[in-house]
Amino acid sequence: MGVPPARRTSGMWGKALLRLVFALALPAVLVALWWAASAGSTNVYWPPLRTVFGVFPDVWTGERLRGDVLPSVLRLAAGYTAAAVAGVALGTVIGSWRRVRALCEPVLEFLRAVPPPVLVPVIMLFAGIGDTMKIAVIASGCVWPVLLNTVEGVRAVDPVLAETARSYGITGVARLRDVVLRSASPQIFAGLRQALSIGIILMVISEMFAAGNGLGFTIVQFQRGFAIPDMWTGILLLGLLGFLLSVLFGLAERRVLGWYHGLRASGRRSP
Amino acid sequence: MLDVQGLHKVYEGSGRRTEAVRDLTFSVAAGELVCLVGPSGCGKTTLLKCVGGLLAPTAGEVRLAGRPVDGPPPGMAFVFQEYGRSLFPWMRVGQNVELPLKQKRLSRQRRRALVADALESVGLADAAGAYPWQLSGGMQQRVAIARALAYEPEVLLMDEPFAAVDAQTRAELEDLVRRLWRERGITILFVTHDIDEAVYLGERVLVLSASPTVVREQLKVDLPDQRDQLHTRVNPRFAELRTRVYEQVQAAKRGR
Repeated sequence: MGVPPARRTSGMWGKALLRLVFALALPAVLVALWWAASAGSTNVYWPPLRTVFGVFPDVWTGERLRGDVLPSVLRLAAGYTAAAVAGVALGTVIGSWRRVRALCEPVLEFLRAVPPPVLVPVIMLFAGIGDTMKIAVIASGCVWPVLLNTVEGVRAVDPVLAETARSYGITGVARLRDVVLRSASPQIFAGLRQALSIGIILMVISEMFAAGNGLGFTIVQFQRGFAIPDMWTGILLLGLLGFLLSVLFGLAERRVLGWYHGLRASGRRSP
Repeated sequence: MLDVQGLHKVYEGSGRRTEAVRDLTFSVAAGELVCLVGPSGCGKTTLLKCVGGLLAPTAGEVRLAGRPVDGPPPGMAFVFQEYGRSLFPWMRVGQNVELPLKQKRLSRQRRRALVADALESVGLADAAGAYPWQLSGGMQQRVAIARALAYEPEVLLMDEPFAAVDAQTRAELEDLVRRLWRERGITILFVTHDIDEAVYLGERVLVLSASPTVVREQLKVDLPDQRDQLHTRVNPRFAELRTRVYEQVQAAKRGR
């Protein structure tokens, strides 16, 4: 059979190790540079990295993780999920019908062009300054890349595949689930990835405007209180959070889009 | 089994009116293997899509077992030329074969049996867990054939299914179609532009004219039932039939 054998396990660990070294080398160098460059710093706003690392465990105690990081992450999750569901649902509708698309496209392009942070004051007017406002801000910014990518993905379903599905009576929900959304999933994931970084930015910004807790709120509080090393730890933590979410996203994507990467790789081998 | 009466298809778009199929009348008896052959661009695909209910004819009628076809009927299965684009790349081979069966609301047990049987009979019993893009072109087309078989159609429609595979693979696939047809007694309508293929496979060959299409000639292929690449193709009768079809197709190209 032409089914390729499973990748040989010998050498796999070596490769994984090498990849890990490659992944960690540059961050290590940058941290070392920062450490060295800031070592003798007496500038209040630019404290030695050693000091920042030193206060990190004191600042991000369990209580603070629960009281500030968790609410931020929950808001992000709620806003992001709402945007993903709405974006995929609306995108599927708009992508499926040419008429609807012609009607919606100019408006979508306009709305997408509005920078989402501008919406914070507007949404505050309607939704107050509570969690609803923050979730609404995150969702309103995240929805566009998901929506527009879904539209493109749904439009681009291969006509031969669509015809195959039709000839075998695959219609309605099955067509949507097994054909249209699966076929559009590479584009949908591209949109979801963009949306994730937008979501993190909006999570912080919405908390900087008006909040009683959260990562963005805490960082601003530190800055206003001239607790500069503490502020830097907040920025580092945000970076780590973003990195962690991106890794998790990558894992999910690998799982859902495994077929797509395999297909592309096979296309490169034999065009 | 399959009756096509006065089929007429006109494409209308942006002020242009293209008559693809003028007037086609033919029928395929139950258990028959009929090949449609014609010059390139003679509306073969249009015709097959009309027969399969994927396109609505402008006039005329297609009947499957007496019932008019006004959409893809559950009794027909399609095998397309573009195997690479007709299998779902996000599904494994077994799932590809099984998906249409789910629409038929068959029990899981029944579905499994049909999938295993279909893959077995195209020689891919152990490829169920592979993705289509991990297979060669010929194997992918076998998967598409297995999917059609598992669907248990009354009529199998094949649209130039082997036009995109190499000559050796094509010969193997032709024999596969002959064998499946003999073993299972299915009715097959096979469209091709390859004259040798049409004569080798068919019990009957319909030669189509250039577009707008009509049937130029019907030819009964009186070759023995048991055919093989080695002997059938050097059979004098095969050469005669081939020459006859060739002349017809050439004449069709010249538009006479």
